[in-house]
Amino acid sequence: MERAEAGSYSKVKSKKKRNYTRLLRSIIQGYGFMLPTILVLLVFILGPVLYAVFLSFFDVTLLGGTVLDYTGVDNYLRIMEDSRAKRALVNTALYVGIVVPAQTFLALFLASTLNAGLKGEKIFRIIYFLPTLTSSAVLTLIFMWMYNQNGLINNLLDKVNLPTYNWIGDPNIALYSIMIMNIWATAPLFMVIYLAALQGVPKNLYEAAELDGANVIQRFWHITVPQLRPITSFVVIMGLIGTFQLFDQSYIFSGGSGGPSNSTLTVVLLIYQYAFKSLGTMGYATAIAFILALIILIASILQRVLSKEEQFN
Amino acid sequence: MKTKSWMILSSLLTLLLIAAGCSGNDGTSGDGGSETEDGKTEISLAGWSSSPEEEKLLKQQLEDFEEENPDITVKHEVIADQYMDVLKTRLVGGEGPDVFYLDAVEAPALIETGVLEPLNSYVDEDFDAGDFEENLIDPFKDEEGEVYGFPKGYSTLGLFYNKEMLDEAGVDVPTNWEELEEAAKELTTEDTVGLGISPEMARNQFIGESGEGDMVVDGKAAFGSEEVVNALQPIVDLRNEHEAAAAPSEMGAESTGEMFGQGRAAMVMEGNWNVPYLNETFPDMEYGVSEIPTFNDSQGTMAFTVSYVMNQASEKKEASWKLISYLTGQEGMKTWTETGLELPARASVAEELGYEDDEIRGPLVAGAEYATAWSDGPNLPTIYNNFDNEFLSAFLGEKSLEEALETGEDVANSEIGE
Repeated sequence: MERAEAGSYSKVKSKKKRNYTRLLRSIIQGYGFMLPTILVLLVFILGPVLYAVFLSFFDVTLLGGTVLDYTGVDNYLRIMEDSRAKRALVNTALYVGIVVPAQTFLALFLASTLNAGLKGEKIFRIIYFLPTLTSSAVLTLIFMWMYNQNGLINNLLDKVNLPTYNWIGDPNIALYSIMIMNIWATAPLFMVIYLAALQGVPKNLYEAAELDGANVIQRFWHITVPQLRPITSFVVIMGLIGTFQLFDQSYIFSGGSGGPSNSTLTVVLLIYQYAFKSLGTMGYATAIAFILALIILIASILQRVLSKEEQFN
Repeated sequence: MKTKSWMILSSLLTLLLIAAGCSGNDGTSGDGGSETEDGKTEISLAGWSSSPEEEKLLKQQLEDFEEENPDITVKHEVIADQYMDVLKTRLVGGEGPDVFYLDAVEAPALIETGVLEPLNSYVDEDFDAGDFEENLIDPFKDEEGEVYGFPKGYSTLGLFYNKEMLDEAGVDVPTNWEELEEAAKELTTEDTVGLGISPEMARNQFIGESGEGDMVVDGKAAFGSEEVVNALQPIVDLRNEHEAAAAPSEMGAESTGEMFGQGRAAMVMEGNWNVPYLNETFPDMEYGVSEIPTFNDSQGTMAFTVSYVMNQASEKKEASWKLISYLTGQEGMKTWTETGLELPARASVAEELGYEDDEIRGPLVAGAEYATAWSDGPNLPTIYNNFDNEFLSAFLGEKSLEEALETGEDVANSEIGE
């Protein structure tokens, strides 16, 4: 009796053990296949992110032997007193506040005109999409030629008797020059997304509205816009993330200084300056980067919450 | 079963390969290379290149050097853009070149970190370090007088004037600020301003310090002081009250040199580099150069200099020194400065080449003696960045100069911290 029990017990145990080894093997196998990707993610993405957060609590000296001095939250407190950081935040907020709504609306507008079934629709689609295919650095350089005091844009404005501006050199204008350029360049990307979504809006809604006597504008506001709400939510979030990270355009525009008079200084440009331009401020730069990540996170969450509330109404 | 274990094995192999790719270097200067196959020492030399002419001259120098030192080969690398960013990153990663260019403005900060090799112990009689202009070598010394770099050449600012325009307006070449102001007003027309001004500290520090004030005191910004504001006020007034001056950006130009070449400014304060630029881009232009007019009765100009320095972590210091001492020695410097690309930092070479009597370069050479070298302690990059930002708003008439510079000084000093 006892022996039999013991025998069945060991049988169960060995079965369990066999199950366990099989599980282990499949785990090893699965992760083995994923290993290259996981390693790349760890080494090049997750690792640096965590290391940056770690560094933000230190005073970092890199040249002449790496020295880390633990300073607690000093780097974060320093942001509060840094007037250039404040200026960068204000510039970035202004930039986001204007560019995101403008490019979203423009994208929607372009998409609906393309969707209206006009002649030459395909050609226009290609023409509209071209700016997105151009590299942003090249685009900025071309625009700087056009923005030149004696350049194309001022010449055109002059021809039609409009006031001309010093697009690059005037501290009150420079940031707006970058905004115009960026809206022009990114709106088409979102336009394509909207265009795809527009194909999915049921035609019968428009027909019904038309029968009820709704005009084009009413149909747009009461059918197209609400139907596209989830897409708009996506476009706005992607726009927020992209605009908060403005760097290359303002870098090229100002030659890396954020000038004239700090008017094109953005948060990422400031991070770059502290990390690579001045010695010994790497820790402070990572602290600003962390704060920027938080701001983007909060903005995205806010946007999601707001758009959800609307949907329930 | 067999295939499975084979797969595990292969994924482990992948891991190994990645790990091998990640490790590797032992942290010393890597691609500088050690000894080549035929027993030669290879050293690396890094710099930027501002023109094809510069590259050609350096190549000539290096060929001469290798001929004289058959046991050394030099690997020349040109860092095309963001020189200091690239260099600092490479130094941090232990991949720094053995010998490299270093601008005087960056020197004090880099000396402080200890990544540069002190050179006093290498210098011998033959090298004759006393031959260099004193204020060109000062930026490369630490407090104890240890030298970390020797200038390859320098440039100063001079007053470039458009002969035709001056003749037409019947104006003489100004020798002091009052005359300059009058001349600028006379020379201003609808398309041309009298004086083109670069509203930057690098170009205007000597003016700011022509009174009693100093723009940098003890490594901190001090340009908000009354003395500095008073010294710089006439420059701002020349634009805003007399409308006889402008910055390049207002004219759609990149630099005052371009403004001058295009005939948008009758006079500019530019450097030696402007001479080949004008000759190539605007060959028909008739211009003259004179010493910068005196401000508050004191003569001044800026001097810009770049040195050759040695990496402290270099494993081939003897060979590196040989290279530096050749490039900055009398023979090498003569090759380098013969065409007038840069002015010779050695008095003996300047004399030999006879630049003092040169119509164009004479006034620039004369400036070396009283010039303010563009280098002022480790925090200068932070200080001038803030000065430039604020000075521009004042120059464009958006703020009073006093208010702008006081703000700039505060911001700079809070950035510098203790």
